[in-house]
Amino acid sequence: MAAFCQAQDAGATHADWLHYGGTPFSWRYSALDQINTANVQNLVPAWIFQTGDYVENLQATPIVVGGVMYLITPRAQVFALDAAAGKMIWHYRWPAPRLGAPGTIADFNGNRGLAVSAGKVIFGTADNYLVALDQKTGQEAWRVSVDDTKQCGCSITAAPLVVKDKVVVGGNGGDAAHRGYLTAFNINNGRLAWRWYVIPGPGEKGNETWKGDSWKFGGGAPWLTGSFDPDLNLIYWGTGNAASDFFDADRVPDKTKNRDINLYTASVVALDADTGKLRWHYQEVPDDLWDFDSAYEVLLMDRQVRGRMRKILVHMNKSGLTFVLDRTTGEYLGSFNVAEVFNWIAGVTENGTLVGRNEPQLGKTGLFCPSAAGAKSWNSTSYSPRTGFLYAPVNEICENVTSNDDKPKEGRTYMNGAFPMVLPPNRNTYSHVDAWDPVTGKRAWSYPYRFVLLSSMLSTAGDVVFTGDPEGNFFALNARTGTRLWSFQTGAGHRGAAVSYSVNVRQYIATTTGWQQTVVGGGALGLFPQENWRQGSTLVVFALPGASK
Amino acid sequence: MTLVVLLLAAAVLPAQTVQDVVRHGEDVFAKTCASGYCHAAKGAVAGGAPRLAARGFSQEYIANTVARGIAGTAMPAFGENLPPADMVAVIAYVATLNGIDRPSLPARLGAPAPAAAPLSPEATRGRELFSDATRGFGRCSTCHEVNGIGIPVSTAIAKIPADPAALKALTTPGVSSATIDGETMPILMIARRAQSVSFYDLTSVSPVLRTVAPASVQTRDGSNWRHASAIASYSETDLAAILAYLRAVTR
Repeated sequence: MAAFCQAQDAGATHADWLHYGGTPFSWRYSALDQINTANVQNLVPAWIFQTGDYVENLQATPIVVGGVMYLITPRAQVFALDAAAGKMIWHYRWPAPRLGAPGTIADFNGNRGLAVSAGKVIFGTADNYLVALDQKTGQEAWRVSVDDTKQCGCSITAAPLVVKDKVVVGGNGGDAAHRGYLTAFNINNGRLAWRWYVIPGPGEKGNETWKGDSWKFGGGAPWLTGSFDPDLNLIYWGTGNAASDFFDADRVPDKTKNRDINLYTASVVALDADTGKLRWHYQEVPDDLWDFDSAYEVLLMDRQVRGRMRKILVHMNKSGLTFVLDRTTGEYLGSFNVAEVFNWIAGVTENGTLVGRNEPQLGKTGLFCPSAAGAKSWNSTSYSPRTGFLYAPVNEICENVTSNDDKPKEGRTYMNGAFPMVLPPNRNTYSHVDAWDPVTGKRAWSYPYRFVLLSSMLSTAGDVVFTGDPEGNFFALNARTGTRLWSFQTGAGHRGAAVSYSVNVRQYIATTTGWQQTVVGGGALGLFPQENWRQGSTLVVFALPGASK
Repeated sequence: MTLVVLLLAAAVLPAQTVQDVVRHGEDVFAKTCASGYCHAAKGAVAGGAPRLAARGFSQEYIANTVARGIAGTAMPAFGENLPPADMVAVIAYVATLNGIDRPSLPARLGAPAPAAAPLSPEATRGRELFSDATRGFGRCSTCHEVNGIGIPVSTAIAKIPADPAALKALTTPGVSSATIDGETMPILMIARRAQSVSFYDLTSVSPVLRTVAPASVQTRDGSNWRHASAIASYSETDLAAILAYLRAVTR
């Protein structure tokens, strides 16, 4: 029992918000309860910070350590702020990067967060550097090139994950002709510690799941942030889709198989935290033909499963299919589907096999649901150990896929398909915040919303769930019932994340604001052309009046 | 405008009709511009980028935008990245979406290709090896930038060694040693300032650009670092091909 108790305690944040996902268990859950269901309607802005780096979405999860907040903008300007007063302590600007290959993901503006540890503030850049600043001064301590953007068509937008004396970072580029990887560097001096390629090379186990040389440009980029279990000394990461996305004849050697195709794309992997060696994998979308990835956050928790306390992980991919695995072994324990509208599979068997696959066909345009934008986008879910629920922002969007069979060109977009999004018929709401019990796979409640929800969830010990919508509303729901308790118009759409922290016993809720004009945010706006969701780059921080000191 | 004129003048297409160019442009557009994330097929609205059809754009505006991008947005500058023939074609295609039925094409349409000497088969292989991603960080382009590919840790290659043996034996006078907290490492000094010292730590690849307080580091000439160990992933034949490539592109 001791082990699971430890894990349960380790999943919550307290005064600080130290990691991208709150803690390395990625719950985005705060144990603070000064703000709760009884008083949340009294929240008022405590301070507001405008980054001045107006480009598009401020999407990073802020990090708070000892009363100082660290925030990064889409173009990698970094700020240290007094977390109680909003006053700027220091400011760092990463120089504007050189161009990557045109039209690839490397051209987009975005940065989802930084990491703080060992006196360093560490972040990735659009031109693939990992950079460490001195935490006190904001002066650069080291930078290291992770790859050549001009060649790979890749970039880093994910927050790095600190694992003991190392910092592990994944990259984008899995929609280009690129071979994804995770790389670990020594946090003190930036030296390479290990690299793990998502796609095994010749002679390595798993390479046989690729046709010919297709492994070289097979995608799989792990483009978000993983989790870490110190007891098992394992790091967990979701990997991206196989490339090319919508056409598989050049990459799949055996179309009769239904498991372990194009390893280790669209999988959850467990790696040894010290060496980066693969311990186990579970492929969620074998032969991913829908750009569903499996790159999202991995929530580590300990729960009673069929009468037995188990160390589990809960992992949702873009399809909305959410897997529950034993995190010691990778054993499949169950899955549930959060999307209401889906046609890409008919279902999942008891042992986790996808059945009734509906695949894009070359030369035909087909309607697929959900879309490559995801039943959930990259923004994170949240888990409250008090309610036992996983809180998810779910979107109901479809797409028309027209695939092609182009050959790869290193670093160039290699999706082999166009996939304009469309709204499913016969609905008047296209998203919902859900509360799911990951063990029973049952939905406890669902809060519908007219447009899309593309901001991360935050849950707290005050039994409040926070998130924001594209119209600019930052709102609170009752974690047990889904009842809307409070809302505040922040002035710009929400495409980032909220965190909670405390300074001098006063609890704060901080949210980034500013709509994304490209990729999924822009695509969603295209679905609702009469809307005018506002961009911006502002952090808004709330607290209860008079709760200070 | 200068850029665009140069661009159009430099573009050389095989003998084609305007229709062929526009058709090629439609293909370039579909594959480069019209993914679900940006523009949509035929310039319609669907992705995050604006509609391009029937906007009343002039061909000059289109050419400028494609070449230079739009600062502060996701519209990249394709000027340096798309082959000239593709540039001309995609500009012509978007022009037709804006009611310009006969977009103007470069005067030299149909003239022979310019005399950029083709690489020999060996040099072509050398170019691939130079930045061969399957070698991870153990590739030349981890530290050298040639023809726009690679990370310029090293300064531009000034003199190309005669053969693989000379490449391996290369003495690298720029590399010195630094000692921090009792640890000595090979470095490439970048800048000494009053407040800070910046150097590449060559202990591991990829080299780490470190910035430290002057008082925290002692430096001395010479090091135990050898170029030969940085290129250990390549065979003699590989190195010969890489040298052939370097000779071809720096001539």
